[in-house]
Amino acid sequence: MKKAVDIENLLQWRRERAEAEAPPAPSGAYLLKLVQPWWEMWPDRFAASVRRLASIQLSYGYAMAHPRHGHSGHPVAALISRGDEEQEAPARVLYMSVRDARLRLRFQLAPVPRRDQVFEVTFVSETGLRPILSAHAALSGDGEYRVDVELPSDLAAAWESLKVTDPMPFRFILRPATDKE
Amino acid sequence: MRFVWFWTFWHWSTEGFRSGALLRSPLQGVASHWDEWYKHEASESERHEIDAVGRSVFQQRRFVCWLARQWAREARWRDELLPGRYVLAQLSHVAPFDKWTVFEKYRATYAARGIAAIVLNEKSAGEAADVRPVEAVALPLDEDAAAGTVVADGFHTDTGELNTARRAAMSLLDGKGLILFLALWGLAGIRPYSRVVRAVLIAGWLTVIGLIARLLFGPDPGAQLLIFVAVLFALWSSLVVTALVVAGTLSFNAWRHGKALRRRIEQRQLHLRMSDGLLVQGGSAGLAFCLNTLLATYRSHPYVSNRAWLWERFFRRLRVASPTWAATGIVDADGSVEHVVLSPKIRACLRNANVTDVLTPWQAEARQSAIERVAATTRPVQPASLNGGMVLGFASVQKKLRSHRCRHAAQAIMAVGDFSSRSQLTVNVLALAVSVVMALALGDLRNVLVPPPAPRVVLPGSPSPYYLWVSLDTKRPDAFKAELESGFWANRRADIFAYGGADGSVRAEIRLTRHGHQSTIDERDGTVWIERRRTFLTREFEAGERIASYPFAHITGLPHD
Repeated sequence: MKKAVDIENLLQWRRERAEAEAPPAPSGAYLLKLVQPWWEMWPDRFAASVRRLASIQLSYGYAMAHPRHGHSGHPVAALISRGDEEQEAPARVLYMSVRDARLRLRFQLAPVPRRDQVFEVTFVSETGLRPILSAHAALSGDGEYRVDVELPSDLAAAWESLKVTDPMPFRFILRPATDKE
Repeated sequence: MRFVWFWTFWHWSTEGFRSGALLRSPLQGVASHWDEWYKHEASESERHEIDAVGRSVFQQRRFVCWLARQWAREARWRDELLPGRYVLAQLSHVAPFDKWTVFEKYRATYAARGIAAIVLNEKSAGEAADVRPVEAVALPLDEDAAAGTVVADGFHTDTGELNTARRAAMSLLDGKGLILFLALWGLAGIRPYSRVVRAVLIAGWLTVIGLIARLLFGPDPGAQLLIFVAVLFALWSSLVVTALVVAGTLSFNAWRHGKALRRRIEQRQLHLRMSDGLLVQGGSAGLAFCLNTLLATYRSHPYVSNRAWLWERFFRRLRVASPTWAATGIVDADGSVEHVVLSPKIRACLRNANVTDVLTPWQAEARQSAIERVAATTRPVQPASLNGGMVLGFASVQKKLRSHRCRHAAQAIMAVGDFSSRSQLTVNVLALAVSVVMALALGDLRNVLVPPPAPRVVLPGSPSPYYLWVSLDTKRPDAFKAELESGFWANRRADIFAYGGADGSVRAEIRLTRHGHQSTIDERDGTVWIERRRTFLTREFEAGERIASYPFAHITGLPHD
């Protein structure tokens, strides 16, 4: 025997049940915490990383027998931070273009035993050792990482004339993007 | 214009490099630059065009042909042709080409095969796979000053080892290595003569030997001596001049073009490729790297070497030998080849059916007899495919592996270029021996061919009444003889020598003794004749023409002081 069911009531019942089973909505504080950059979430850890990053003295030394030809760019000090493990790995900037307030950058790390697919790159200013930008760098062929990020207007203006052969005004802290803290 | 999008990319890359946005040159960074351009700079329509080409294998093939044949010629970088196959190999790893089927064959090769290196796997006792093909490409030097002059692709090794091999190659083109190579070639190297010319030259040398033997041991030619000597000297000198001019010209050309090739090595970045991602320990691949450096340099500009016969022959044969030759040996910067562990490497070559010849250091294990002993107990594996299914077939049960032992990389050049010629060595040894004989006989030949003017009798006379001194004003005493004819004194013939000391002069000293059957009682009777002397080494021929005569009385009357 068929029992007649009002479709409106059925939908009402289903919605009430779903609401009852759903997890509570995140609080505003939690959402704010999610968008907080990591250096604000773990300032001690950032400070330790910056101390180590600052201690890296890096420049090319030419011991070749013949005079130099062309240019070589300038190595960028980089620190790969994986949990408790930190590794210094100088980076070479291979491509840099600032157009329409976007930074397109490719860099290559000195050979490292493990090649991560994506890094969260923190740009730390060379002069003040302050975090100035954060972006994701994806592995893009032959060990090169690519960054494509919108720049704040002040950085865009400052970096627009930068050439790949100029000394870079930043250092890198690289954190594997899969790193869950 | 076809494939405009690729020109657009190339323009973006070159301009990006010039403006300082890109660090690497458009050639060295072609894969990275393409990746950036294709994914982030190309327009929608350009991507559509590229994808359209990728959908058809025929179109893909057209693009590859166009890139290798047309674009590589037209898109010059630093005024040089671009190595199309290197560009294809680089592009084959980035999207969308990494999905294109026609790029398949470029993913693991530059299609620039060279002499194989024998690098043993850990714990290997010598397997066929230990013979590893090496590819080499020489690119215009990267603007990136931090880039090495030699780059290892697909394997890892000490950069110092690669640089040493590069320096050894440079020495072979213009340095001690070249001098040694030219010396070896001069001694026993084949010459660029046709068969007829070679036969004529050999016949010429044999004729010279025959003439020398005729003059030394045959009957006295008498008046025909001049003809014999003239023919001998003309033939010998023309053969020597021919040999020296040919060897000198070829050596000079080799040096001149070797210098140009060396400059090319200095201005190039060498990419050596060996698959399997090995971490190569030790330097026994040095000889193979050295030869492949030469090959890559030649490939980068074959026209330079084509103008020098020695290099043209070597590089042509090196190119042909590449699929079937392997090399092992540590080289130093001067090209000396040092010893390595050899037995398992010989075994690896024997097991690899593609290898027919192996270059080794000068070690006992590499003697042909030793290799044949190992071959008798080593079973070869199935031949690996070369060039699309073509394989070498060996009809014999036991594989034949030829070994070429080298103390120096110059000997490797001799072996690869197939310069060694036993017949040439024999001819050279004969020619050298003949030339030594001729050099010793040059004075005698000169006296016959260009006789000195007739000398006059001069002071001093003899201080003793028992001797007759015939002093002559000549600088070539060996060209003359003095003969006394007298009815009172015994007739004598005397050689002329240069005497030193207080009585120094060029003279003949004739001891005066009375004739047994005197025809006169006049002790002043007699004539002194000056004759031309005709000799050839130890052979003294009949005296030549009499060119002067002096009364005996005149000569005995000459004062001593």
